[in-house]
Amino acid sequence: MSSSHDTHASHAAAPTHEKKHLALTLHVWRQRAATSEGKFVTYKLDDVSPDMSFLEMLDVLNERLIANGEEPIAFDHDCREGICGACSLTINGQPHGFERETTTCQIHMRRFEDGQTIYIEPFRANAFPVVKDLVVDRGAFDRIIAAGGFITARAGSAPDANALPIAGDVAESAMDAAACIGCGACVASCKNASAMLFVSAKVSHLALLPQGQAERSRRVLAMVEQMDKEGFGNCTNESECEAACPKGISVANIARLNREYLRALACGD
Amino acid sequence: MVRRIASLWSSSIGKKALMSVTGLLLIGFLVLHLVGNLQLFADDGGKSFDAYAAKLKSFGPLLYVAEFGLGALFLAHLALGLRVTFENRAARAQRYALERDRGARSFASATMVVTGVIVLIFLVIHLLDFRLREMAPDGLAAMVVRRLSEPAGALIYVVGVAALGVHLSHAFRSAFQTLGLSGKGWDTPLARLGKAIAIVLGVGFAMFPLVFFSGAKKASHQASLEPARPIHAASDVTTEAIR
Amino acid sequence: MSSPTTVEASSKLASKCPSGPLAERWSKHRFELKLVNPANRRKFHVLVVGTGLAGASAASSLAELGYSVSAFCIQDSPRRAHSIAAQGGINAAKNYQNDGDSVHRLFYDTIKGGDFRARESNVHRLAEVSVNIIDQCVALGVPFAREYGGLLANRSFGGAQVSRTFYARGQTGQQLLLGAYSGLMRQVGEGQVKLYPRHEMLDLVVIDGVARGIVCRDLTTGEIKSYAGDAVLLCTGGYGNVFYLSTNAKACNVTAAWRAHKRGALFANACYTQIHPTCIPVSGSHQSKLTLMSESLRNDGRVWVPKAKGDTRSPEQIPEDERDYYLERKYPSFGNLSPRDISSRAAKQVCDEGRGVGASKMSVFLDFRAAIERDGVDEIRSRYGNLFQMYERITGEDPYRVPMRIYPAVHYTMGGLWVDYNLESTVPGLFVLGEANFSDHGANRLGASALMQGLADGYFVIPYTIAAHLAGRKLGKISTSHDEFKRVEQGVRERIERLKNAKGKRSPDSFHRELGLLMWDKCGMARNADGLREALVKIRELRDAYWQDVKIPGDAAELNNVLEHAGRVADFFELAELMCMDALHRNESCGGHFREEYQTPDGEAKRDDANFCYAGAWEYAPESPSGKVGWSMHKEPLVFENVKLAERSYK
Ligand SMILES: Cc1cc2nc3c(=O)[nH]c(=O)nc-3n(C[C@H](O)[C@H](O)[C@H](O)COP(=O)(O)OP(=O)(O)OC[C@H]3O[C@@H](n4cnc5c(N)ncnc54)[C@H](O)[C@@H]3O)c2cc1C
Ligand code: HEM
Ligand code: FES
Repeated sequence: MSSSHDTHASHAAAPTHEKKHLALTLHVWRQRAATSEGKFVTYKLDDVSPDMSFLEMLDVLNERLIANGEEPIAFDHDCREGICGACSLTINGQPHGFERETTTCQIHMRRFEDGQTIYIEPFRANAFPVVKDLVVDRGAFDRIIAAGGFITARAGSAPDANALPIAGDVAESAMDAAACIGCGACVASCKNASAMLFVSAKVSHLALLPQGQAERSRRVLAMVEQMDKEGFGNCTNESECEAACPKGISVANIARLNREYLRALACGD
Repeated sequence: MVRRIASLWSSSIGKKALMSVTGLLLIGFLVLHLVGNLQLFADDGGKSFDAYAAKLKSFGPLLYVAEFGLGALFLAHLALGLRVTFENRAARAQRYALERDRGARSFASATMVVTGVIVLIFLVIHLLDFRLREMAPDGLAAMVVRRLSEPAGALIYVVGVAALGVHLSHAFRSAFQTLGLSGKGWDTPLARLGKAIAIVLGVGFAMFPLVFFSGAKKASHQASLEPARPIHAASDVTTEAIR
Repeated sequence: MSSPTTVEASSKLASKCPSGPLAERWSKHRFELKLVNPANRRKFHVLVVGTGLAGASAASSLAELGYSVSAFCIQDSPRRAHSIAAQGGINAAKNYQNDGDSVHRLFYDTIKGGDFRARESNVHRLAEVSVNIIDQCVALGVPFAREYGGLLANRSFGGAQVSRTFYARGQTGQQLLLGAYSGLMRQVGEGQVKLYPRHEMLDLVVIDGVARGIVCRDLTTGEIKSYAGDAVLLCTGGYGNVFYLSTNAKACNVTAAWRAHKRGALFANACYTQIHPTCIPVSGSHQSKLTLMSESLRNDGRVWVPKAKGDTRSPEQIPEDERDYYLERKYPSFGNLSPRDISSRAAKQVCDEGRGVGASKMSVFLDFRAAIERDGVDEIRSRYGNLFQMYERITGEDPYRVPMRIYPAVHYTMGGLWVDYNLESTVPGLFVLGEANFSDHGANRLGASALMQGLADGYFVIPYTIAAHLAGRKLGKISTSHDEFKRVEQGVRERIERLKNAKGKRSPDSFHRELGLLMWDKCGMARNADGLREALVKIRELRDAYWQDVKIPGDAAELNNVLEHAGRVADFFELAELMCMDALHRNESCGGHFREEYQTPDGEAKRDDANFCYAGAWEYAPESPSGKVGWSMHKEPLVFENVKLAERSYK
């Protein structure tokens, strides 16, 4: 297996006719349902266009499986442009693959080498049980938001949007945190399957904004409580989550979450 | 309020915060401990070190309270460390077949529980060596030097404090992050300070076994010429060797 | 002025638009609407299908009012609805820039942008509530871009002459949806909304002429289940994926709307499709979707193709005088910033002439050389760095060195289920919100106005108008044990069985691709009567082949992506037929609907206000017991009392 992916980036405008198709060996995790045993199944593809996206490569494989009367590989996807957070996949041991700040659906096959072997596994964590094959249930994230990841603002009750100026840099920091797409790569890449990066991004976004102050303490206590209930691990500050995050969410948010939580414990209402 | 305090023990962030505080206090103790130990290097045949030990003893019950506090900190840290580790293992029952990190984690961060347990074992030995044993007639300093001059003793102490150094190289920075005291340009200074503390404590404590052991070797070399030399004098040889 | 048409209004289509001065209609209407007593709201159960901007805002607002709500979506989380993908921004007539914007100007721009094929009353209401939307979103914590001093920033978008577009980096849709979603999840936490993710609505249940429930497939377990309620809200998005390749997310589909259509809801203006000019071109037969490149690129990029046909030289070898900057040439005053429909069609024209570029010859250059020479590479990088990076990632080409290649792609569907001013369809109790309805964009949607419409419908319209139904009609208690639920469930099961039992040779995806290509060729950027007739024949053939030859492996009683897709493709076939019929019947060109027979001498769209100034709503009417599909047309004349119908000119 090659590990020199990053040097393999094709920076030049490669003329179309020179593009060589790739032969690949895939080891794909197949699991019928949450309760069944899973295993790797090996597939060989010998005509992968370098212009395909990773998911299109799986589409092609699936079409072939259907033609053979076999069940295609189930995987989550929707927008296919790196914003909905639906796609997952752990590719050669790395959630969303080896590229930085990239989702699985944004990977293109020209970044792989002819003859390469690729392992494809689901995002793994107890809190993300496998639904089927590569599809996992990330409902835990929704439940964490339901516990407190909001600002209570009834339609009709809002003051004029410019009534409360928010300094440009504060708004930017809030936006940095809000950029999280909820894909769960932080959990999948964390050795402890911790959800701290996700929760911290949410807490930070709302705690930074003046609108979020009224519920500040209650929010962080409730969200952390729910996070713990869901069975995620504890953070050991190794920052693998930040490195895997397709939106580059910083672990500085985790420090802020810790601060918010301890502050709420100490002096929250 | 009770619930809030309970959260410190039960919630993920609470647990980690307790670990950080206990860990940082232990680091504080270690710094004092190291400074105190430096007196072993004084060129007075262990007199000032023994005087220092006697001074501590004279606090009487107060010393017991301090020791008890220290023990509690340690036990709490240890219990939480083990608990956190087990929980984290359990959070991913089905492991990855292939797992490749992105280079953000370090050797130290990946081995916290290992280095922690080594420190624990070391500490037990350490206490058995000097705290829970009857005081030698020639004083504590003599006991220490004797122990650290043995090959086994030196090895145990070097390994123990090296593990401590590795543990702390991640721990210090991590503790600040856990307590929410990082971010905004503080990360790099804290990480550097953490490394520095790890090196100072690790190398600092390692000096004792290294110096005494190499000194003892020299001494034993000399001893083969002059077999009747009392062990106590070994420290003299050592200090000479340092100069 | 009143309606220019002599079109006769169908009695089926009572728009319920209030009369009187335009600016007072909505408040007058709100006053006249019935109210539901707060204590009674809990007793009403509302089913909200879809959790995009429209669905999430509606579900949370209704729950907030005290109604009991169930919300359904296909994705694993409501936060992943397709609204998440919107990049550019959301319009509002705040006039924060003091540059002459007003509710009336936004109203006028939207009516004109829609090529005078939308209702005045609706569009004015949209412009009015646009200002409340921004307030509401900010209150929810949406981190809109701000100026240094803390006030909200705006930009001008899609050729508008005022800066009224609010944005959050390139993630406006995501941030707005997260805001609406957080409100929804709060209600879920409080037990006021019950959430059903990974649930697909497969049919509508109508009892005594009123929509009383839906039948869903639980996509994880395959279980078919019914849900009863007092009103059903469809917020299920657009149907651009009928073309297979589009900028829409893969799960976008017409199934919910189509099932409702077959149960009596009229489908209006099916042929109005928006084609976006700046997308990354198709790279091969494996292509699964198209990626939109922000329109803002056209602020600095120049669009061109070689003057000569079949010129295969690489772009840097083509000298300046052998390049055709066709937008600048044809539309000197708007140039590279000409509106979406016009820019798209112009690209198609030059490619059809054989002057397209790239391996497939189906793209045009978007060249930044002049801008880089003028402003420097760093400046261009700071403006478009992430877009350039995205482009390079997908194509492997470096746009700093070689011109980008772009081509138009299907982006938005203006057509949808017909609704009245209350957003109620022709089936009482069935409301349709967001892109799924036909209401506010006429024949062409302006940039940054779909997000506005979705949130307007959900936050500020439906909370009032639903009361007209709930308080105004006598709704008996109904449970899912009612015979009609059993019957509809049975129908859903049989349909799945039929698909599964075809045991043919081809995947649903291969049929979908074939249908998409046909639609793109014959009912895409430009249509003509012959092509549409030909398409109608081919669609029917392909549809029949589909039911014979489709192949669906796996079990229906578990997660089965192929089966899900198969049902959606089956509905796309029927929709495709209706779209072609609609396009064929509309003997004019307007907005996104360009009929080649109806153009001005210099190739611009030629509207026919005398004969086609109406919304065309189709009623589903099976021709024979064999279930062959057929439709009859109802017309709602469009009355313009406040604007003058004019030719859209961008020369
Ligand atoms: C790439 C892109 C960029 C865009 N950028 C902009 C922009 O900058 N500004 C702008 O104003 N507009 C933009 N648009 C348009 C805009 O995003 C959409 O029109 C709008 O978000 C639609 O919102 P919606 O709530 O109606 O539907 P969607 O967000 O599409 O939501 C549909 C919901 O219905 C559910 N659903 C569908 N069918 C079923 C079923 N059968 N059963 C159960 N649930 C179902 C889905 O799960 C989903 O929750 C853009 C569109 C695209 C494609
Ligand atoms: C003198 C001895 C010790 C000192 C000074 C010390 C100090 C620290 C500190 C400061 C941390 C960082 C806490 C945080 O980030 O939250 C830490 C983490 C840790 N300690 Fe210790 N520790 C000691 C001994 C031990 C022992 C005996 C164990 C035995 C199990 C242990 C196990 C751990 C573990 C597993 C962590 C990792 C938790 C994490 O990274 O978040 N430590 N230690
Ligand atoms: S499919 Fe939407 S982020 Fe990958």
